[in-house]
Amino acid sequence: MEPQAKIPLDKHEHKPLQVNPIKHSQPMGAALAFMGVHDCMPLMHASQGCASYTKVFYTRHFNEPIAMYNTSVSDITAVLDGGDYSILMAIENITKKNKSMKPALIGLHTTGLTETKGDDVRTVGEHVELPYCYVNTPDYEGGMESGWALTAKALIEQLTEATTQVKPNKLLILPHVSMQPVEVEKVKELCSSFGFETYALPDISTALDGYLSEGQGKLGTGAITVEDIGQLGDSATVVTIGTSMKIAAKAMLEKNPNVTHLHFEHLMGQEINDNFVEALMKIRQIEPTPLLKRWRGRLQDAMLDSHFLIGSSHFVVTGEPDMCVGICELLRSVGGTIDAVIATVYSPVLESIIAETVFVGDLEDAVSHFEGADLVISNFHAERLLHTVEHTGLILRGFPNYEELGNQLKNDQLYEGSTYFLFEVANKLREVRHHG
Amino acid sequence: MVKRAKIKELMNESACSHNAKKEKGAGCDMPKPGLAAGGCAFDGAQISLFPYADAVHLVHGPQTCLGASWETRETLSSYKGRDHTVMGFTTGINTMDVIFGGDKRLINSIDYIMEHYSPEAIFVYSTCVTALVGDDIDKTCEMGSEKYGVPVVPVHAPGFVGGKNLGSRIAGEAILDNLIGTKEPEVTTPYDINLIGDYNVTGDMWQYLPMFEKIGIRVLSSLSGDGRVGDIRTAHRARLNVIVCAKSLITLCRKMKEQYDIPWISVSFYGKRDTTFAIREIVRELGDPELIARAEAVIAEEEAVLEAKLLPYREMFAGKKAVLNTGGNKAWSIASGLQDLGIEVVATSIRKSTADDIEKAREYLGPDGLLMKTPASEQAKAIDERGADILLAGGRSLYTAIKKKISFIDVNQEKKVSYGGYNGLINLAEDLRHAFNNPVFSNVSKKAPWEVG
Repeated sequence: MEPQAKIPLDKHEHKPLQVNPIKHSQPMGAALAFMGVHDCMPLMHASQGCASYTKVFYTRHFNEPIAMYNTSVSDITAVLDGGDYSILMAIENITKKNKSMKPALIGLHTTGLTETKGDDVRTVGEHVELPYCYVNTPDYEGGMESGWALTAKALIEQLTEATTQVKPNKLLILPHVSMQPVEVEKVKELCSSFGFETYALPDISTALDGYLSEGQGKLGTGAITVEDIGQLGDSATVVTIGTSMKIAAKAMLEKNPNVTHLHFEHLMGQEINDNFVEALMKIRQIEPTPLLKRWRGRLQDAMLDSHFLIGSSHFVVTGEPDMCVGICELLRSVGGTIDAVIATVYSPVLESIIAETVFVGDLEDAVSHFEGADLVISNFHAERLLHTVEHTGLILRGFPNYEELGNQLKNDQLYEGSTYFLFEVANKLREVRHHG
Repeated sequence: MVKRAKIKELMNESACSHNAKKEKGAGCDMPKPGLAAGGCAFDGAQISLFPYADAVHLVHGPQTCLGASWETRETLSSYKGRDHTVMGFTTGINTMDVIFGGDKRLINSIDYIMEHYSPEAIFVYSTCVTALVGDDIDKTCEMGSEKYGVPVVPVHAPGFVGGKNLGSRIAGEAILDNLIGTKEPEVTTPYDINLIGDYNVTGDMWQYLPMFEKIGIRVLSSLSGDGRVGDIRTAHRARLNVIVCAKSLITLCRKMKEQYDIPWISVSFYGKRDTTFAIREIVRELGDPELIARAEAVIAEEEAVLEAKLLPYREMFAGKKAVLNTGGNKAWSIASGLQDLGIEVVATSIRKSTADDIEKAREYLGPDGLLMKTPASEQAKAIDERGADILLAGGRSLYTAIKKKISFIDVNQEKKVSYGGYNGLINLAEDLRHAFNNPVFSNVSKKAPWEVG
């Protein structure tokens, strides 16, 4: 591939098509978010293919049965139906077929098809006899990250009761889409260790965490219930992790102006975790647990152990903006040089990344930067492309990862996860240098 | 554009056995809201054409269609040039394209592809959104073909017209209307065949093609496993169309019979019996006594080699019983393979099978075999009542196997090795041996210290 002129960081695309895309669609983010609500039936208002692709995508990434349904829009309903028929019939057909299934919520989200035909999914909800939450997620706008965030926002807007009361020790975490189940769990655990009554929305910590049990893949098994969401309004503290989630916090502030909103762009590396822990200490007026303090020391040791390898290395990072920003800051904190960040979609947080170049693009764009890098951090699609590049390693992060098992248990967050991440990077760099 | 008349015609394929029993015009079922689970028409069309490695496959639509589907199928290719089957191309339309139309973006994308990749052809797939907003994809493709002198083929299979099977038919139509008969082959032989419907997943075709070569059967073109666009253009000169395990491309074969007088047969290469039967059918249709004799010699030789290899497995698997829960033609094709290995198949699913598949499943399993219409609820009982030792099913059924303390193989997961041809049987046997010997299933079924009873 010929060297390209530098691509600016811009909301507008720099070419008419995507070649080897890394971007994933809004409906896919929405579907995942609904899986993070207990007993939710994620229902994609789409032709059957959108849901089938999404289901296969997550099945292969998580190696888990995936709970997902669709309204199977046909050519006839695409033209004649305003959404009522296909949505109501779908709910009736699914619940009739699975008589034991008791959905606590219908999580309806749209797609490019049903947005183009202009269905009024809000009004349809008035005829649905089960609790219902809708979100508009055309796949010709935004990406997976925004689809997930819009769903969190919709859940709050439509289900959370407005109040002016707050419970001082109640805390809500709004995690971004790239956080894997165990990462959500670890952040929740940390907050609970400060004595908070902790919730996450969406909460996939018990949804796709690779847990063997019966009857999986029928309804969402997330750790937050519809009742919990209804009562989220009195959370004294709302913590957003990732810029994409700010819209959900805003919705929460509209439900209760007395909520305190804390924002963190990510939770990777020492500095931002110090800020996070400090904020929690301030609210609860208590010391962290001995174990948390110990992990900070371990992270510092890992930073020193790995700085030689990482500090002399060049990196290319691709993926969702909220994930990229955390990885870059952690690598830079131990001297890593970020050659290029290729993001799936535009986000203002990309402006803050310090790298040779940051832009929105695909793997065709990214590949020209692979040659000069020691390590690429990307999804599994980069694997094949790197076969022809010598002396450049690959660490798999982001959706999808069809290559490796146990993706749901990979933890890169907090002091602890950052420690593991640095070791993984350093070990990979050593392997590349020794073996090419 | 999408033509209703064409879709109606494809949904009423007269050569399909299940349509023979239906009232005139009833045709295939439309998807019911909430109950359609498989892929859409676009998915089917893409699966059917994507293995053409020398063509670029451009998906004109929003992000889900290609973003979630590229590089997911192990359709291997021996193409020496740039292999486009491992790449993804999409116009990834945005809101502006929905409002003002995406034709301009499509034209620019075709230009970009020709400039940077210069493929032998471009397939342009319409999708729900671009079909609904009415992009004039036909015209854009025609202009592209004229400008660059390579076929730019529109494929009108937006997801909402139906399921995978229909999409595959539409893909066949696109090939017939735009490519077949547009080029003459350099040489022809009386033993030229077209392979239709084998996509060479994990190299399935490469399991039996060496035998073809030994016998003297020549594959003129393939739709589309390890295929080339240049070859499919010459497909009208073949002596025989061979459909492999795919009912969806019957329409194409029927039409090629009408237009080019090419007869067709439908075969499968799963298991020993089917592979042998397939080869005999092909040489019988080609009708040359010498070819038939050579085929018999090769079959005898290969079967002897295989038998020797299978012997230890047959001993190992003696008395083992299996329950099979998988869709479509796998209901009988995997059953056939298991039987070749000496395993008794006591039950199989017919949930997603066609009338032909069901008939075949009954034939293979015999009168006592259980054909499960609702396998999810029937399989546990079948395991108990018939004393099965192994369950072959999709991942969802894993828990059933654990609960029943029997071995399990996930047959729906993307497999890494081929089960096709004679050698594929050895791969299947190896997988079974590992599954039977693995203690994991009984280990995982043990109770936790805090569980009572």
